[in-house]
Order: sequence, then C-alpha cells, then structure tokens
Amino acid sequence: MRFIARYAKELEKSFEIVTVYENEIQKEKISKENPSIKTLAKKHPCAIWFERKMHDDFGIVIEDAFDARPLVHQERFPKNIHPLRKNFQEKKINEAPYVQYKYEAIKGDGVFQVAVGPIHAGIIEPGHFQFSQAGEEMLHLEVRHFYKNRGIEKMLEGKTLKEAKPIIERISGNESIAYQICWRDIALQASSQELSLSLQKRDAFLLELERIIHHLTDLGFIPNDAGFGTALAYASKLCEDARRKMQEFTGHRFGFGAINFENSYINIIETKEWLKNLHKSISYFKEWIIDIPSLWDRFDTTGKLHIKKAIKYDSVGVVARASGLSIDRRLTPFYLKHDFVMSNEISGDVSARFKLRLAEVFNSLTMMKNFLEEDSSKMKLQAPKDGEYMSFCESSIGELFMAIDIKDSKIERFFVRDPSFVNWQALHLMMYDDIIADFPLINKSCDLSYAGSDL
Amino acid sequence: MIKFLNRRLKLGILTQNIEFDAEIKKIEKEIKDKVTKKFAGSLAIRMVDSGSCNACETECNALSNPYYNLERLGIYFVASPRHADVMLISGIMTFNMTPHVKEAYEQIPAPKWIITLGDCPAMESVFEKTYAIQAPISDHLKVTHHIQGCPPSPQTIIQGLLDFLRKI
Repeated sequence: MRFIARYAKELEKSFEIVTVYENEIQKEKISKENPSIKTLAKKHPCAIWFERKMHDDFGIVIEDAFDARPLVHQERFPKNIHPLRKNFQEKKINEAPYVQYKYEAIKGDGVFQVAVGPIHAGIIEPGHFQFSQAGEEMLHLEVRHFYKNRGIEKMLEGKTLKEAKPIIERISGNESIAYQICWRDIALQASSQELSLSLQKRDAFLLELERIIHHLTDLGFIPNDAGFGTALAYASKLCEDARRKMQEFTGHRFGFGAINFENSYINIIETKEWLKNLHKSISYFKEWIIDIPSLWDRFDTTGKLHIKKAIKYDSVGVVARASGLSIDRRLTPFYLKHDFVMSNEISGDVSARFKLRLAEVFNSLTMMKNFLEEDSSKMKLQAPKDGEYMSFCESSIGELFMAIDIKDSKIERFFVRDPSFVNWQALHLMMYDDIIADFPLINKSCDLSYAGSDL
Repeated sequence: MIKFLNRRLKLGILTQNIEFDAEIKKIEKEIKDKVTKKFAGSLAIRMVDSGSCNACETECNALSNPYYNLERLGIYFVASPRHADVMLISGIMTFNMTPHVKEAYEQIPAPKWIITLGDCPAMESVFEKTYAIQAPISDHLKVTHHIQGCPPSPQTIIQGLLDFLRKI
C-alpha cells in the first residue's frame, strides 16, 4: 500500500493524526497532554520527515523514532515553540542561541564531510546537502531543507478559500497551475458542484503547458550540467516561447490566477500551428541529442534508483516513472480519452529521467491538441460547506496532494504535500555508485522543488 | 554537427529578432556605457534566494536564454559573493534564511549594493506576515534599488538594472 502523507491537526480536546495511503485514510485521536504516536518510518522510510515536521509544528512526540532531530526548526529557532498550535499567534519570533544540528555522517579513516549550501553557486533555491566522502566517491548524503519555510500552513488558517487562492498559487512557482487545480477541486467539492467538460479541458490544457515548460527547462539544464551548454541554449529558447504562450493564454508568464472557472477565447488554428511547430523543434532536439555519445556516457548508469527502492520510499512522479513504476494521477478516463499515454523507463538513471521527460513532452503536446476547444463559458462558485476535503493533481514533478478543512467558511487546517517532499528523501539512494561531481547532474535530473516542500 | 550548424544558420540570432528588441535597443547602449564607466566593463551579480516561490529565479535564468542574453551587455551572474559587485535578493526573507543572507552579504567586497527582486522582499506580495517571515529586507540590510513584479519579467529586470545603474 503506497504511503502518501501523514499530518496532524488540532481539534478542541485532542490532536488528530491523519495518515493517507493510496486506497485508505486512517485517523487517530491522541490526547493533548503528552501527545505521542508510533512511527511509520520502519515500514515507510519517507514517513520520517512527516513525523519530524509534526513534532516541530505541534510538539507531538514520536515514541520510537530513530531520528528525533528537528526538521523545519533550524539552529536558531527558539525551543518549545510549536507554531501550528492554535494558541500560537505571534507574528515575530526572536533568534535563540545557536544549537548545532547533528548531521548524519559516516566516520572512518580518510572519510571526510563536504557541506554544500544553503546558498548554491547558481541561480537556484537554497537547501543544504551534507556528503560523506571517501575520496571522490559518495558514501552518504543527507538532504537538509526547510530554509525557505514561510509558514504557509499558518498563514492560510482563518482565510476563506477565495482569499487563500493567490497564496496557494504562489507556493511553488513552477507548479502553480497544479496547485490551483488542487484548490479548484477542493472548492468544487466544498460547494458540491461539477465542472463543465470544456472548463476541465481548458484547465488540463494549461496544466500540460506548464508541464512542457518545466520539462523543457530540465531538458536544457540536464545536458548543461554535463557540460553540453548548446542544449540549454536551444531548450531555453523553446521554453521561453512556451512561457510567452502561457502569458498569451492566461495573462501571466507563470499562469498565476489562471484557474478561475472562466474560459477565455483561444485561437485554435494558431495554437495548433504553434503546437505543430513546437513538436517539430523538439523532434529535432531529440534526434540531435540522442546522437551525442559523450553526453550519454555521463547520463547512463548515473544516479540510479532501483525500482525496489523507489517502491520502498514511496516515490512519485518523474522519479518513480523513470524507475519503472506506473504512478500518475492522470490515469483517469478523462485523460485517457484525450490520448494520455503513461510514459515509463526502467533503468532509473539520469538518462531514464531525461528520456522520460522527452516522451512526456510529446504526449503533452498531443493531449493539448485534443483539449483545444472554442468556448467562453463561465461558472459561478457557490458558498463552500464546512467539512474536510482532499484532492490530488499530477504536477510537472509528480503527485501533488492537498487537504483543506473548512470550519465556519474559513480554513481551519491547510496541508499540502508537494511531490518533492517524498522524492527528496529518495535522493540519497541515487548516490552510492557515483562520484561527487555527478551530484549536480543527478539533482537536476530529478528537478525537485525546494519551495514546495519547505512551505 | 553539420545538421546543427545548418539549423543554427537558419535560425539566426534570436536576440536581434524580437519585438521587444526595439525597446531594448534604446536602453542597450546606455546600459553598456554605464557598465563600462562604473564597473570597468563587467557588472557581477550574485543572486540569492531568501525564500521565494522560484518564479523570480526562473526569470533570472531566462535572462541567459538566447532572446535576452544579458551577458552581451557585460552583466554576469557569478557563483560566489566574493566575485560580486551587486547582490540581487529575491524572496520573503524567511527566519531560517536570514543569517545566511546576511553572511553572504558580508562576503561581498566593498563597494557593494543590494537590489531586491520581486514583490516578496519588499513585503508587497500576497504573502502575509507570519512567525517565519522577516521581510521587508530593508529592515535588515541597506537596499539601493527595488525591482517590482510578481515575478518581474526578464524585460522588467533589464529595465530595473538600468534604473539601478542610473541611480549610482
């Protein structure tokens, strides 16, 4: 049973722990005095971040945890503050004395540590990587994030769904449409309404456009990290073209505010022509890049994630599909009707993830053509009813999960699990056969979001 | 290789072929002159993300694509703060990033300037104050210039850099 998420919420007299599996949701109530739970990390290793986060956010103790270090709260975060508790209302906290974080480190003769980040050498988000090295070879990597923690969950509490929308779409800029679609589905559930087919198509069209933009960026940056800069120049040109199209369709280069229950006119003939040309350009790119042996020398067998490990760590998205798993939230009658094809690779290395992205771009182009429809319908959203709602969406990184509780028409608890949150925890498994110089390449081939997982 | 060169010739130079080029032509010369005069021909920028949604970073990366190709104006993004003249900060200055941003700033040799990028660092974005947010950045460091937008488009960033060059 695939583990998806685990999170806590504060009720009047108790805490409720929600554990979400693929086909099951478990709820457990625990007392507010001395709250404690048992860990799931022995069976699902990636549960550990969820549980460490729960401890930071609510002060819930994980009884048998093998790792009880703080996750979100870093060296200077004041002790005994649990910001997601309802009685915590401060808008400012003061720096506490520095307490060293104990990194996972392998010790031994000639083994040394390499610390990378939080600020990296390129234009990239902040996060820390701690390597244990034997010469060039990586023995172990610990990923440590949450530098970008903005307190989004707390920020959204007490807001209406409508007020929360502009914030939700800016949680992770590269996945904005996916976050908006998750929000849309929750808003629809809460008002017991259904979306018209044409609006579904328009939203799906934009989601695929976002996926193409994200994949094209990676198709340029992955070869660039292997020293093949021309590919970046070529792919970033295509990426810029696609982003300008996004601006044309939604009025925003990242599609902020695009999912609004309102269809606007799209010139179908022009768009089809553009899709055709993009298809041609990417076909050329594929043919050209497949023919560069020195590049594939770097890609093949680098950063391998074995399918057994991918299952064990409950990986999702591009990372899981490149290792041979068939996990995709687009596996629905609606998408299948519009020619969705599950892309898979089996080798689980950088080249698998690269090829998978290429295949997905082609499939997205086909689907986008099928989604096109001339329509300018509108829909009015009714007032939301109180309740607990959940939704899923396949973002360009992987499966996105969102849960919102509404009480008195306001958000009582907001939780979102970015696909990156689980995939980051599988990153260290890809390192064991490689040298440290391969790390940027491997990291880029997964292209996970920092902002989405840090919240 | 020949196939690639053929295509390269057919495509031409993209920087010269865009509608916004007429606008950039006007400011291009001024930027180049100012960079030459004030920064001996090369302005080195260290981009630091203090807690953004990654859209501002994506737009900065777009500055290097063949359409904008910022480097032709003598403006570079550098890997280390010790090579930088200017620190370009995006993001909402989270509690966890604040000490690291300050440390990076200290590493830049004087004279140095700070430009803030996007609405977040000025606390003008949709995000509201929480315990984890320490923006505006001007509370912590001296900001010389601010480029507005959520996120600012590459065009706006280039214009913003020119405004900064005029200011100093």
